[in-house]
Amino acid sequence: MTLLETKHFGKLSYEADSELDFPLGLPGFEDRKRFVAVHFVENDPLIYLQSLEDPALCFITMPVLAIDPQYRLNVSGEDLGRLGLNSARQPRVGDDVMCLSVLSISETGPTANLLAPILLNLRNRKALQAVAPGSDYSHQFALMPQEAMPQEAMPQEAMPQEALPQEALPQEAPQEAMPQKAAVC
Amino acid sequence: MMSRREGETILIGDDIEIVIARIGRTRVKVGIRAPRETPVIAREVKLIRDENLRAAGATAADLSSLIARLHPPA
Repeated sequence: MTLLETKHFGKLSYEADSELDFPLGLPGFEDRKRFVAVHFVENDPLIYLQSLEDPALCFITMPVLAIDPQYRLNVSGEDLGRLGLNSARQPRVGDDVMCLSVLSISETGPTANLLAPILLNLRNRKALQAVAPGSDYSHQFALMPQEAMPQEAMPQEAMPQEALPQEALPQEAPQEAMPQKAAVC
Repeated sequence: MMSRREGETILIGDDIEIVIARIGRTRVKVGIRAPRETPVIAREVKLIRDENLRAAGATAADLSSLIARLHPPA
């Protein structure tokens, strides 16, 4: 059991064998190679990729199939080889690999990067962000189009800076919703 | 626009050289010689890098608002 400092959840403990190895890092974070995937039932289907090398680095992700059940993988033979998978055919999501989409949050709402999914081979724990050139998928797919958003999301954004206590707000909200015990995938 | 055959070269300024190394059925292999300080990356890699930097900037407040949208209070 190792204790891990996280960006959003305080300290978490994890087993050494749940570590994920990104030999190439991720574009923009090439020197961050060790992560764990953290899942809270309450936050389903979100899965957090927390860096083991930088407590402040945590990607919020979601299984690609939860966003688009028809999603088709188009992984290069080179990437399949890096994951230790058969490069002659596309891997089966959920069977050969776990496939996650990185989420970004902007004023217009959350978006998902479907252009470059993160692939995890849970058998050898190798992982990478697959860059599929020529794919029609968007790197900023609108996760919840404007009209589907609950109304209360709007006034929050319009609130002046002073109305948001710098420390209290970011700390409280997510932690209340989460149990101390997290499942590390 | 400029038409080139396999093995031919394009020069950009004094110190960038682009060679059409091989033309396949659906892919072209391009060799690029550029000064060390000029980054050479595929466009989609830059898109993804910028998107990852944006994603990594998510604050706890962003996360709360995302969770609230996924699980609106009943």
